[in-house]
Amino acid sequence: MFRAFPTLLRIGFAEAVAYRAELVIWVLTATAPLISMFIWDRVAEEGPLGGWGQGEMARYFLLTLIVRHLTSAWVVWELNENIRTGGLSPMLLRPMHPLVFFVAQNLSAMPLRAVILAPLIVGVLWWRPELVWTPEPWTLLLGLVSAVFAWAIAFAAQVIFGSLAFFSQQSLGLFNVYFGLWSLGSGYLFPLELAPDWLRQLLLWLPFRATLATPVELLAGLVAWEDALGLVAAQVVWAVVFVGLAAMTWNLGVRRHEAVGA
Amino acid sequence: MIQVTALNKVYTVPKRGEGLWGSIRSLFSREVEEVRAVADLSFSIQAGERVGFLGPNGAGKTTTLKMLAGLLVPSSGERVVAGFDPSKRDPAFLRRITLVMGQKQQLLWDLPPIETFALNRALFGLDEAEARRTQDELIELLELGPLLNRPVRNLSLGERMKCELAAALLHRPDVLFLDEPTIGLDVRAQGTVRRFIAEWNERSGATVLLTSHYMADIAALCPRVIVIAGGALRYDGPLKDLAERYGGGRKVVVRTRDEAPETLGPFTREDGALVARLPSAEVAAAVDFALRQVAVADLSIEEPPLEDVLSKLFAERS
Repeated sequence: MFRAFPTLLRIGFAEAVAYRAELVIWVLTATAPLISMFIWDRVAEEGPLGGWGQGEMARYFLLTLIVRHLTSAWVVWELNENIRTGGLSPMLLRPMHPLVFFVAQNLSAMPLRAVILAPLIVGVLWWRPELVWTPEPWTLLLGLVSAVFAWAIAFAAQVIFGSLAFFSQQSLGLFNVYFGLWSLGSGYLFPLELAPDWLRQLLLWLPFRATLATPVELLAGLVAWEDALGLVAAQVVWAVVFVGLAAMTWNLGVRRHEAVGA
Repeated sequence: MIQVTALNKVYTVPKRGEGLWGSIRSLFSREVEEVRAVADLSFSIQAGERVGFLGPNGAGKTTTLKMLAGLLVPSSGERVVAGFDPSKRDPAFLRRITLVMGQKQQLLWDLPPIETFALNRALFGLDEAEARRTQDELIELLELGPLLNRPVRNLSLGERMKCELAAALLHRPDVLFLDEPTIGLDVRAQGTVRRFIAEWNERSGATVLLTSHYMADIAALCPRVIVIAGGALRYDGPLKDLAERYGGGRKVVVRTRDEAPETLGPFTREDGALVARLPSAEVAAAVDFALRQVAVADLSIEEPPLEDVLSKLFAERS
């Protein structure tokens, strides 16, 4: 399997290049953090909000944009399409797990995503140079580790909803419901730091922040050391839960596929 | 190489009433019915054989192929392919088989076929030098040279199928399951695919189980055929005996110089000629008899068209 990985990454990259126009559109449609940034920038113009000035706001949303794109997954659509059209059958007949194939495909598109993001990042830096900060080495390191977990949870969540296509025509609809809740609870549209206290407490017990707000806050240097470890520990727990659920849904789905065919 | 014993597959299909009321009712009570796709099917295929798997639409051919490839689990019965239980989809098993479906493809749509070949070489963990040799051999046999670097989406259906076959054979499987590999192809492309399958079977000694609705495929490729209808076995034997048993024999047509008599031995008059339908063993005697009795202007002996034989077989037994 490991021997095949470089080829998988190379071909995934070639596919991403072939889909470059689509990828640019995808990246541009997911620029909500930039819009949020302009709105919250105006709000912070009047004076710092919860201790955040315009620089912190711009820093938070720029990192949200970057982390969101470099931890994003689209396997829910791949699974849905392949399960419904029977495209999964040839994949099941290769001596490699289809999900490993999708992991490679997902990872290999990241460099091109980064290239497409680069001009946006440069633009924001030029517009609000005061967002630049010097991160502590430990927050940077922990932030990067946290981003890997964020990706793992996001990928597993999509495998869960994608595998529901084995059972239901409505799997994408259900995923959209999840995505709606995620947008509100992950720090994507507003910093959780600025949410009412009860909501912040509630979100600590839900998986959404683990896929975005946690790595963003760590990288932005907005979290104290003692809170940081708790947040990353929560990510580990969610990663275990989501990967476990994904494996279960996938296995049950494939068993059903073997019973009814496609 | 393939051993199938009392194989059964029953699908549970939801039953839905007609119209609005039917839709509303199906929300509350889920009625299901059982459909038997494959019923007590048994056969065995030796290594290197080329076998045609025939039957009308919905006969259970694709279901059977999928069960043999390990994509579907049978409701009951046994099957052993290349010494493996296909259900486990053991990587060692997957390296020894391939399934090509005329209506589904594994080629990467937006990349040139050469990239799918590279992907399969990696996925199957093939020895690079050996796989390259096989790839070159397939490229030559299928004349893929000019297609290798064009995106798959820009290839014609026939070109895609040729590339599909090459991608499916890079790992040199021992068993080829081919489900309608010529579907939708024009006559020339059908011929190319057909010649290739025969040639590959000769070269590699691989076992071939092929379904097709084009009888020319079967006639050109399969000395043996297995016919199923309604999921059950109808015939298993040499192709030539199929025509003999179900085709009503060979058709002997004798055109006479003078007006033909109403009847003559086994012959009767049809459209001004003497016609008899006879088992092969009786053809020589009948021709001899006709030559002695009447002045013959023209004589022909026709095999019954395979299509007619099969539609007769399907109609008779289903």
